[in-house]
Amino acid sequence: MKRRAFIKTSALATTSLFLPSFLPASIGGPLRGSRFGKILVVIQLSGGNDGLNTIVPYRNDIYYQNRPRLGLPASEVLRVSDELGFNPGLQALRELYDEGLVSILSSVGYPNPDRSHFRSMDIWHTGSGSADYWSTGWLGRYLDSECEGCANPYHALELDDSLSLALKGYEHSGFAMGKPEQLKRTADNRFLKAVEEASRGHEQEEQVAYLYKVMANTHSSADYLYAQSKVKQSRVTFPITPFGQGLKQVAELITADTATRVYYISLTGFDTHVNQKGRQERLLKEYAEGVKALVTDLKQNGLLEDTLILTFSEFGRRVKQNASNGTDHGTANNVFLLGGSLHKPGFFNPAPNLLDLDEGDLKYQIDFRNIYATILDKWLEADAKGILQGRYEGLPII
Amino acid sequence: MEKIQHLYWRAGFGLSPREWKAKQNLNLQQAVDELFREAGADWPVEAPPPPSERPARGMSEEQKKQLQEQERESLSQVRKDWLKRMASPRHSALMERMSLFWHGHFACQTFSGTLAFQQLRTIRKYAFGKFGDLVLAIARDPAMIRFLNNQQNHKDKPNENFARELMELFTIGRGHYTEQDIKEAARAFTGWSSNLQGIYTFRPQVHDYGSKTFFGQSGAFDGTDIIAMILEKRETAQFITRKVYRYFVNEKVDEALVEDLSRRFYDSDYDIGQLMRTIFESDWFYAPHNIGVKIKSPVELVAGIMRTLDVRFIDDKALVFLQRALGQVLYHPPNVAGWAGGKTWIDNATLMMRLNLVGYLFQLSEFNFRVKDEPEAAMGGKALRRIDATVDLEPLMQLLEGVPPEHYSERFASYLLQARPQLSTSLLNGYTSHNSNWDYARTLAMRLMSLPEYQMC
Repeated sequence: MKRRAFIKTSALATTSLFLPSFLPASIGGPLRGSRFGKILVVIQLSGGNDGLNTIVPYRNDIYYQNRPRLGLPASEVLRVSDELGFNPGLQALRELYDEGLVSILSSVGYPNPDRSHFRSMDIWHTGSGSADYWSTGWLGRYLDSECEGCANPYHALELDDSLSLALKGYEHSGFAMGKPEQLKRTADNRFLKAVEEASRGHEQEEQVAYLYKVMANTHSSADYLYAQSKVKQSRVTFPITPFGQGLKQVAELITADTATRVYYISLTGFDTHVNQKGRQERLLKEYAEGVKALVTDLKQNGLLEDTLILTFSEFGRRVKQNASNGTDHGTANNVFLLGGSLHKPGFFNPAPNLLDLDEGDLKYQIDFRNIYATILDKWLEADAKGILQGRYEGLPII
Repeated sequence: MEKIQHLYWRAGFGLSPREWKAKQNLNLQQAVDELFREAGADWPVEAPPPPSERPARGMSEEQKKQLQEQERESLSQVRKDWLKRMASPRHSALMERMSLFWHGHFACQTFSGTLAFQQLRTIRKYAFGKFGDLVLAIARDPAMIRFLNNQQNHKDKPNENFARELMELFTIGRGHYTEQDIKEAARAFTGWSSNLQGIYTFRPQVHDYGSKTFFGQSGAFDGTDIIAMILEKRETAQFITRKVYRYFVNEKVDEALVEDLSRRFYDSDYDIGQLMRTIFESDWFYAPHNIGVKIKSPVELVAGIMRTLDVRFIDDKALVFLQRALGQVLYHPPNVAGWAGGKTWIDNATLMMRLNLVGYLFQLSEFNFRVKDEPEAAMGGKALRRIDATVDLEPLMQLLEGVPPEHYSERFASYLLQARPQLSTSLLNGYTSHNSNWDYARTLAMRLMSLPEYQMC
C-alpha cells in the first residue's frame, strides 16, 4: 500500500444548456388550459428593491426633495397616469400593463417591520408576524395541507440549486432544480439507485426511512423533470441571464403540462446602497423582459388565464436617499401580480403617502398575508386559514 | 467499541481511524473520563486577526465600510477555525460539541468576527459550569445584546426582544410566564448595553430602578434577579434537560428519563457538567434504539468526514461554502430559535449534496452547486466551482490490517456507519474496484460513506 495517497479533486462549472432542435412546435396549436389547474409563479427580488424608483410619483415634490440626486426626472419615467410612471427599465412591463395583465399593489408590508434582509425575508417566506419565528414556509405548509397532488415532490419547484425556506414544510418540502441536466447528472448515481432498490420492502428506522424516501423521490423526479424539460422548446426570446433562462425553463415546463403548480425563482442584487440608478434600472429591465417573455409564451399556448405571477421583495427602501446616491433599508413596498385572470388590472390602491411616514419609512396599507390568503384560497384552493395560522381577509385581486 | 463509537459521535464528531484503534482497549468509563478530562483542560483558541482600526465615533463612511469588511472577513475566519477544531483530534471533541450545542441554543447572528469570537469564548468558559452563570454571561454578551436589540432597551422605551427570547427560548419555555412578566423583565434589563468597541457596558442613566412585579413578586429587580427567579422554577430545568436530551440522546423523548434528569439538574443548582456526565454514564444512553437514529447536522457531517479522511482543503473557503450549501452556517442560525435539526436538514438538494460529498472528495463525480447569494453581496455571486482537497487514506487502511479482503466491508461498515444498512456485500462488490486490495478498500470506503446510513449518528 502507498504511504500516503493524495487525491486531488477539482470539478468545473456547468456545461451549457443543451436543448435538441427537433422538438415539435407548440405555436398555433389549439387553445387549451393547463391539465393540472391553476399555476402560481413566485418571483423574488432579493436585496430589497427600491419601490419608489420602480413606480415613480413623478409629480410629487416630496419625492424630489427627499431624493435630490436619485429622484427620476419626470422626463425619464414611463408615465402611466397623471401621477405615476414606471422606471425606464420597465418598458416591457409597461407593455403588459397596457394590455391589462398587471395589477400593482402599493405599500404592502406588515406591522413592526424589520429592516434586516434575513429577518424580513424570513417573515415573507414563513408568513409569521415580526415577533414570531417560524421554521416552515407558507408554500411548504401549503404542501403539508394535503392538497390534491401535493405529495408529489415537484408540486412546488424552485429554479435554484438550493431550496428556500418558503418551500419547506413540516412533512413535505418543495423541490430544488438548478438545471434539469445538472439535476439528472447529480441524481444519476447507479450505485445509489441500486441501494434504493435493494432497500425496498425492508423495515427501516424512521429517520433513515425518510432519507430513503427523499432519495427515491429525487431519483424519480430528476428523470421526470429532465424528460419534461425536453418536451417543449420556447420560441420566445428570454434574457440570456440565469434569471431569464430560469423563466424560460418555467415556460417550457408549464407548456409541457408538467405536474408542477408552484414555481419559485429569484433575481438578486437589489441591495442598492451605493450608486443605485444604473444598477436598479438594469435589474428591472432584466426582470421586465423576462416576465414579458414568459407571458408571451404562455399566451401563445393559451395558458395565461391559468397562470398567476407574484413578484415581491423583502422590503422597500427609505424615502430619503443616502449620501452615496443609493438608498438604505426601508419597509413597505409594491407587489406586482401578473396574469390573465386579474380582477382589477392597474393600480389596486393609491400610491404611498409620502407625508405620512414612520421615522422616514412608508407605512404599510396592505398586509402581505392578505395577498397570500387570497392566492391560497382563490387560486390554489387550499386552506388559507390553516396554512397561515390565522384568518386574513381576502382581497379582490383575482 | 460500538458503545465508545456512539459516545464519540454524540459527545464529539466521531473518531478518526487512529483514535478508533487507540481506544480499542478502553472501557466505557475510561472513555468518558478522558472526554471530560480533555474538555476541562483550558486549551487556547486562536482569535481571528483584529481589525486594523478600532471603531470610534466620527469615523468616515469609508472607514466604517472598511471596518465592516474586515469584520466580515474575520467572521469567515471564525467559521473556518471552529469547523477545523471540530474535525481535529488535537482538540477536545466534547468541548467543541458542547459549545456547538450552546451556540444553537443561544442562537445568535452577527456580522462581526470580533463579537462572534468573544461570544464563543464566553460559551466555552461556562459550557460545563452552572447554567445560571452561562445565562448571565449571555445576557451581558455584546453580540447577543445587539442581535436582540437590548442596547435599545431604555427605561422610557423598553424593548422586550431580549426578555421575551430569554424566557421563551433560552430558559423556561412557552406557557410558564405572562406577557406582563415579559414587560417587567424587560424593564429589569434596561441599560444592559454594549459600547462601540463591543464591550459590555451598564448604562445607569437608562436603567429602570423602579419596582417590578415578576412571577408574582415585587421588588427593584435587575436582570440578575430576574435570571435567578427564572432558575428557581423547576420548569426551567425541565426545559433545558429536554433540549439536551433531544440533542444528545434522541429526538423522541423518554419522559420518565427527562423528568429524572431534570430533577437532578435542578438539585445540582444547574450543574451542566454533572448533567452531561450522568447522561454519558447511563446504560440507557447506549441502548440500541438510541444509536444511529439522529441525522447528522451539516457541520457534524463535514467535521466527521474531515476527521475520518484527514481532509485538508487547499482553499479554506470550502469550509464556509459547505456550511452554506448544506444549510448550517456557524454564527448564522436561521433565527433566534436556532437550527430546527432532524428532518429539516434534508431536502432533495441538500440530500444529494450530502450523498455526493465524499464522491467529490474522491474525484469520482463532478462538483456542481451554487449557493444562494448573500443579499449584501454585489452582483456576480459567490459560486465556488472547485473544492481542492487532499485526503489521507493511510490511517483508514490500517484498520484493515490482518483482515482478509472478504471481510473488508464489515470492518469498514462497523467503523464508518452508526446505522446499519441492509446491504449485501455482493451489491457493494458490484460497485467497487477490484484492481487491487487498496483500490477495493478505497472504493468500498467511498461507497459506504455515500450511503444514506452514513448521514446518521
